Amino acid sequence: MSNLSTPTGGCAEATTAKEAAFRIDYPLSAARNTRVVALDPEAEAMVRRASELEWGQARFFSVADPGHTLIETTGVPVDLDEVLNDTNTVVLVAVEGSNAEAVSTIGAACKVRGIMTAGLVVTPGALTSEALLHLRPHARILLVPADEDDLVELLRATRA
Amino acid sequence: MLRTDINELLTQTGPGTPMGGLFRRYWQPVLLAEELPENDCPPVRVKVLSERLIAIRDSEGNYGLMDEFCAHRGVSLWFGRNEQGGLRCPYHGWKYDYTGQAIEVPSEPETSSFCANVKLKSYPLVKLGDVLFAYLGDPAEQPPLPEWEAYRVPEGQAFTSKRVQECNWLQALEGGIDSSHVSFLHSGNLDSDPLFKGSRGNAYNKADLKPSFEVVDYEGGLLIGARRNAEEGHYYWRVTPWVLPNFTMVPPRGDHPVHGHFWVPIDDENCWAWSFDYHPTRQLTETELEAMRAGKGVHSANDEAYRPLANKDNNYLMDREAQRRGETFSGIHGIALQDSSLQESMGPVVDRTKERLVATDAGIIKARQKLRKAALALQEGVEPVGNRPQDQKVRSVAIVLPADQSFVEGIGEAMIAKPGVPQTTV
Repeated sequence: MSNLSTPTGGCAEATTAKEAAFRIDYPLSAARNTRVVALDPEAEAMVRRASELEWGQARFFSVADPGHTLIETTGVPVDLDEVLNDTNTVVLVAVEGSNAEAVSTIGAACKVRGIMTAGLVVTPGALTSEALLHLRPHARILLVPADEDDLVELLRATRA
Repeated sequence: MLRTDINELLTQTGPGTPMGGLFRRYWQPVLLAEELPENDCPPVRVKVLSERLIAIRDSEGNYGLMDEFCAHRGVSLWFGRNEQGGLRCPYHGWKYDYTGQAIEVPSEPETSSFCANVKLKSYPLVKLGDVLFAYLGDPAEQPPLPEWEAYRVPEGQAFTSKRVQECNWLQALEGGIDSSHVSFLHSGNLDSDPLFKGSRGNAYNKADLKPSFEVVDYEGGLLIGARRNAEEGHYYWRVTPWVLPNFTMVPPRGDHPVHGHFWVPIDDENCWAWSFDYHPTRQLTETELEAMRAGKGVHSANDEAYRPLANKDNNYLMDREAQRRGETFSGIHGIALQDSSLQESMGPVVDRTKERLVATDAGIIKARQKLRKAALALQEGVEPVGNRPQDQKVRSVAIVLPADQSFVEGIGEAMIAKPGVPQTTV
């Protein structure tokens, strides 16, 4: 086995504090096309409040079974396929655990399209719930129990 | 991404900073017991949370941790003589006991009471297992001694090492929370490392390279569950606890010892990566100890100053051929160095305004949020978590559960450390 601890040019070494301050400065790429979907009325209230903050390209919806149509916060219905066409992250928010069929519909549609899915199970004080069981097969990552802050923090951190 | 002011709040731990205030409410590992091996041995310099300190072991075996510099003219007491009952400054002979109290000032008349008014700032330093823990906070708020199981098991069941990591503590901690990097960065080690190989869990790991994650909020911090497919209708869960502010554990594999880390700030641009292995119910074997001393598992091979032999000055002994063959994913040998090489490459304090987080970083996002809230809440008088015995009696878990079972429900009390009870592992 050859061990290539190669001598390198001075520019190849680890960053110093001074150098770190001079990393090339350029604008970050466009925000992700994130869609936030409330799965029940309580979650809808939370999602609606989040939607009132300033976001890049995030859009906010609610849904009911069977889940083929999403409802914008303005009340306008939109076809799920249409919403997912230009999306790369879907955040599902649940409190009660209702509308399990809609979760499956959205989850399956995201899987087919290779869309990242995250789930927030907002069940203060409870670590297990119907909502968790419904979301688990369809979310790449779940926050349990999440609170309203977590939704806003997640969206901010991912530049939604 | 994170705003600059929040990044600074989370990464600065010197005296007077909010995060420094939080850290000062916890016992932290600061020395290996081997560094003060006998009474009246040479003093050791300790830099922690940006404070420069000196540690001694006096003639009676008392451990002391105090300001590094003599109260007289500011000479470093590292040059001092550790003699009968205290540490004497070699410049003018001022002598201090293990609490930092001056006990002799030779230039003063023998009847002078001058000594009584000279006391160096000092902190309690106690030995637990093979490690010395210090508490740098307000004495009135001192929590009970740590209850981490690694330092409460019988002698011979635990091994701890430390290494310098040349970056801010938070970069290192975030690596401990971020389970998703394991499938890539450490993928070459499961079958070759003597401290990992041979467990059934490894087969699940390798068969499902796209784990899903659940980040569960609990009182002491977070539980991060990585879920992979197991037999039909079952999931293999690897559950990593993070306890505020800087403790993480790695889920166990087979009957191998359990391991974990503390990430302790030296200053804002360096930290100690403390790594421990222990077995709750049996002695570590000589073969295991040999592997740990050699830098296998979560440990590293270091020089006398605990700096890894593979470090940024020699490009971490990068092995491009091993990388090409897939023997190591990054070309760096050893789990510890695989992590630190990449975390140091980010710069001493990474600019988090430039990062592009994705949803699977939710564990990191949540941990940052909890740290920020805890540091700010402490300033309002809200007691932190993580320094209470119930927070520290925690274990990582590896388990196979039915697909419809919550992992928190499924692991039950397996995450609670109980003397003499084996770890839950696959």
